[in-house]
Amino acid sequence: MRRLYTAACVLLLHLFLVLAVSCQQTLWILAGGYTSLPYSLDKYWYKAHRLITALLGQTLALSNPVREGITAYIHSTGIEGGYGFFAPGVPSSYKLVFELHYDDGRVEYELPRVNGVAAGLRFTSLLDQIGRTHYDPLREVMLKMLAYSTWQEHPDAITIRAVFGYVDVPSAIDVKQGKKESYNFLYAYDFSFPSQSGNSQTR
Amino acid sequence: MRTTLAFHRNRAIPKRANRVATVREWLIAFLFSPDSDRWVALLRLGLGLQVALYCLSLRNDWNDLFARDSNGFISRELTEAILTLQNPLVPRLGWFVAWGSYLGLTEETILFVTWICLLGAACCLLLGFCCRTSAIIAWLLHLCAVKSGDFVAYGMDNFTTIGLFYLIVAPLPDHYALDWKLWKPRRQDLRRLGFQRRVLQLHMCLIYFFGGITKCLGTGWWTGESMWRALTRPPFNIIPLPLLISWKAVLPFLGIAVCLIETGYLFFIWWKRTRFIWLVCVLGMHVAIGLTMGLYLFSVIMIVLNLAAFGPGTFAGQSERFRLRRQEADA
Repeated sequence: MRRLYTAACVLLLHLFLVLAVSCQQTLWILAGGYTSLPYSLDKYWYKAHRLITALLGQTLALSNPVREGITAYIHSTGIEGGYGFFAPGVPSSYKLVFELHYDDGRVEYELPRVNGVAAGLRFTSLLDQIGRTHYDPLREVMLKMLAYSTWQEHPDAITIRAVFGYVDVPSAIDVKQGKKESYNFLYAYDFSFPSQSGNSQTR
Repeated sequence: MRTTLAFHRNRAIPKRANRVATVREWLIAFLFSPDSDRWVALLRLGLGLQVALYCLSLRNDWNDLFARDSNGFISRELTEAILTLQNPLVPRLGWFVAWGSYLGLTEETILFVTWICLLGAACCLLLGFCCRTSAIIAWLLHLCAVKSGDFVAYGMDNFTTIGLFYLIVAPLPDHYALDWKLWKPRRQDLRRLGFQRRVLQLHMCLIYFFGGITKCLGTGWWTGESMWRALTRPPFNIIPLPLLISWKAVLPFLGIAVCLIETGYLFFIWWKRTRFIWLVCVLGMHVAIGLTMGLYLFSVIMIVLNLAAFGPGTFAGQSERFRLRRQEADA
């Protein structure tokens, strides 16, 4: 019976972590003002979010063993993310287009290619990650890697411009009136690979 | 006066003690109610199928996804560098590649061996052969793949990790496994089986409650706008647009239904009268997600987790009830 109770304590601690991580994500959504609740409550959600973050040891130094232990555990058990998929609303989808510039002034447009449906879903996740990244150098490196694989298929292109944006899907009423989806520009980076050195600019 | 007070105090203490004892008994009965191992069998078979489908769906892209010089995706090196910054203890494919290089094995070979081992572990889980070892191997390799490809991971990967974690701590093997027939293990502790199932059930409730409550907080799910966006958002836009427009009026109801099913799961799945209908609704919702959005693997893992958590007892109990009713009608 004692062994059973010990196992129970461990698994209940596991459930507590699930609860804490779920609360953390929900409070982050609330604090960010993404919901229909009054903005005046945002500061309280933010305070609660900070409290849960501290409880999960995420305010400790990165090398702190307690933080490392909790992070390793929640990653290993798959509970590091919350469960608010497509919540509180469905975000726009991102789109990446490569503009290939050739020596003779020719310009071609290319979309990233994947082999199958499963890889297509994963590529969408990747574009979402790039869209969510606020750290510009990281975004640039990610797009450069994607541009590099396109350049391998078109090695005579002198410059590749990666144009990143999001697709705005019209509402059902707008579609009925003939409105089509629109592409909105977010970032563009120029990469040149023949010299093996990425020369990038942000527009 | 003193006598009266003392009398009342003495009566109050046993009353409170009784209440504490009742709560304690209820808690023990709730958490440690004896259960059969049918849920473990469902979890094992379901996860075996899920991991096998995961491997087969990525067979052409495995190297592109996880190679250092990936073609078309983000390099594994970048993902693992960020993961190291977050936590150096989280398992990743880079560890196997590094160990393989000591033996003179190339990255391509290591990645191929990893894929084969993961598929092999999934097949062993399906058969119920070396259940515990297979579950640990499947969990470890799947986790490594998910973490090394963190930029391309989505919800399904997390749920598979969750399921595999519960499987490795579950009392294995179950009665339906090949291991049971081969080795004839000791009798299982039914209370342990019941407790671990309870933890999975509570976890499922938290998943749906938080998923539902965050949806309820946005206006889009009440007006049908989020349903429309979810079904028209590439690459989930499987249903032709004209068909979707003709069904436009139904979308708000479907959006509200999703909110109610998910938020209500925490309450109605426990109540015997509503358990069957709620489980059917949730399973129906996941089948619909799979068919209308192309998220087949996501649907499979959610159905597996739901069936393992609440399936045994619910469906068996319901079919027993139908049988009795038919007998009564015949009589």
